[in-house]
Amino acid sequence: MKIAALYKRLGFDAPSPLLKQAPTTLLVLVAAVAAMTIPGLLVTSPVAVAIAVIAVGAATVFAAIISPRESLWDWGLCVPAVDFFAIGLLRYGTGNNNTVFAALIALPIVWFAAEEGRKFVVYSAIGAAITVFLPFALGLTIADNLDLFLRAGFTVIVYTFAAAVINEISHTARHRLDKVRKLAEQSRVMLAESVQHAIELKQSEAKVRTAERMFREIWVAVTEQAIIGTDLTGLVDAFNPGAEKMLGVPFGEVQGKLHIDEFHVEEELLERARDLSYPAGATVLNPGFSALVESARLGVAEVREWSYVRADGTTIPIELSVTPRLDKTGEIVGYLFVAYDQTKAREVARLKDEFVGLISHELRTPLSSILGYLELMRDDDETQLSDSQLRYLGVAERNAHRLLRLVGDLLFTAQVESGKFNLDQKEQDLAPILLASVESARPVAAAAGITLHTNVVEGLLVNGDSVRLGQACDNLMSNAIKFTPSGGSVTLGLQPDGDNVVITVQDTGMGIAASELDKLFSRFFRASTATRNAVPGVGLGLVITRAIIRAHGGDMGVTSEEGVGTCFSMTLPVVQPANVLAGA
Amino acid sequence: MTDSGVKVSVIVADDDPDIRSLVAFATQKAGLDLVDELGNGDDAWDSIVAFKPDLAVLDVAMPGKTGIDLCRLVRAHDEVNGMHIVLLSAAVDEASQQLGRDAGANDYLIKPFSPRELAERLALIAPTIGARA
Repeated sequence: MKIAALYKRLGFDAPSPLLKQAPTTLLVLVAAVAAMTIPGLLVTSPVAVAIAVIAVGAATVFAAIISPRESLWDWGLCVPAVDFFAIGLLRYGTGNNNTVFAALIALPIVWFAAEEGRKFVVYSAIGAAITVFLPFALGLTIADNLDLFLRAGFTVIVYTFAAAVINEISHTARHRLDKVRKLAEQSRVMLAESVQHAIELKQSEAKVRTAERMFREIWVAVTEQAIIGTDLTGLVDAFNPGAEKMLGVPFGEVQGKLHIDEFHVEEELLERARDLSYPAGATVLNPGFSALVESARLGVAEVREWSYVRADGTTIPIELSVTPRLDKTGEIVGYLFVAYDQTKAREVARLKDEFVGLISHELRTPLSSILGYLELMRDDDETQLSDSQLRYLGVAERNAHRLLRLVGDLLFTAQVESGKFNLDQKEQDLAPILLASVESARPVAAAAGITLHTNVVEGLLVNGDSVRLGQACDNLMSNAIKFTPSGGSVTLGLQPDGDNVVITVQDTGMGIAASELDKLFSRFFRASTATRNAVPGVGLGLVITRAIIRAHGGDMGVTSEEGVGTCFSMTLPVVQPANVLAGA
Repeated sequence: MTDSGVKVSVIVADDDPDIRSLVAFATQKAGLDLVDELGNGDDAWDSIVAFKPDLAVLDVAMPGKTGIDLCRLVRAHDEVNGMHIVLLSAAVDEASQQLGRDAGANDYLIKPFSPRELAERLALIAPTIGARA
């Protein structure tokens, strides 16, 4: 490790031109000094030696200049090229063939040969040739020195082979190094990736744990709703604390032991199964369970009223939503049953009904006395009442009747809300009902200075309750008259419209603000124009009217412009007369 | 008022004394013979058994036996089962009226009622009862 670090520190793993040049410089200097100082050494040309030393020095300086700048290292090959000349001169100046410094030539050859590419073998050969043949260029004749010439040629051949071998070894080594580097890079990247994966895995695991804990907390926190999970056969595999509380059994006693239908009232399940005419999924053994999950099995969540049987045998009314449990491929693997205890809701509904009944009775009884005795006073044969007394009596009677109507409206509204609202429907022409309503409104309209118009198409049949439809029409007529100033008019229309008939009541009254139109059908709502103009009423008429129309399968609409008038419309499905059908 | 000159006998039962007087007034106006006025269902039943009247105007909602209870008792009783019964009730819904008719009431009157109209109606009923009696 220490050697490797030192190696790296000196730059041996990627040597600079200066480092490569260093041995040449050092050895040439040693050679020059030796030539000058050791008397036994032959120096044939001190000038050549001096030039060689200067050339090597210049090359070394050049190498030193480019070494710090890696981009200039391509020029580094000039250095061994100069070295070839210098070494050639050194050989020439120290006795040519007999020089003791012949081996120096190996240094620039190694430098060239180690470069990547076969051409550098050629360059090495050329360099070697220049070095060894230089003395012949400087005056030596081949004829006088034939053995020297041959030896030089042989030297070049030997060094060329050596260069080729070095080149090949370098190439292989470089190739291997590249491979090793690539592998090292690959494993570094892979390591980084797996570290990243490990981090992500840890984060996801934390998220899953949080979600799991959250789910557990919610599951335990739901104490007022019973959540029961089952497999496809209804066998219970999940049972929350709400279910334990509602049904009075711990999870341990039901898990994998009881089926969901064992908590139900068998007759209810069988009745539902009969209603569904034993659904397709029904088994002979358990049609009740099939009825329970029929909707969920078809992929639709269902909410329905059932009863649960508690462990102590008592039953509680519930509202149950049944949903399918799916696996990751979307296949149904079971069902979830979420039950809401309806005991309190039922009790509230019962109390409300009781209250309304009581109010109705308790208010109507004193009103019966008031109206009855007022009538007795009016009909008294013995005492004749004065005109003003009769007028006072009239006021009292009118107000008693108003109170009575209000009680009736309240009772009716309550009946509508609790769904206890029956219609006595039969097929009949709508026109006479509407015209009767207009006739009964005439005295009030006349007194208020309002003209009544009708635009009624006769012979349109509806399947309706004449009393209720008359009441709906009366309500709209009386409203229109109340909200129309003297001199105005109210028009009642009846027109066919496709499969429906449309009844319209149009007035020329004070109108209703656009922002209030959608609240018009809310209980006890009164339009600002109504309160501003002190028009009497409590805000039940339209609620009742719409309830009547909806119970007939129709609906109501309204358009209005303040100061111009209001138009209420009631749409009812029309019944095609039998003769028309027969004729068609 | 019958052809024979014998008056149709009637009892009135209602827990509200004001309504009771109003009904009593109407029976007298119709020329009936008001034999008893009662404030609750139990007294009414005793009175019916004791007087065996031709007609009874009974409130549905009374303490003790209700008008409906009385109807059933009357129809089940050998001596009084032919009695004409008019029920009075503040309940307006069809279901209560049907309940009254099923229990055996001949007429069903909804409160508030007009004493004049009640008198007229009783006057119309009276001859049919008298003829049977």
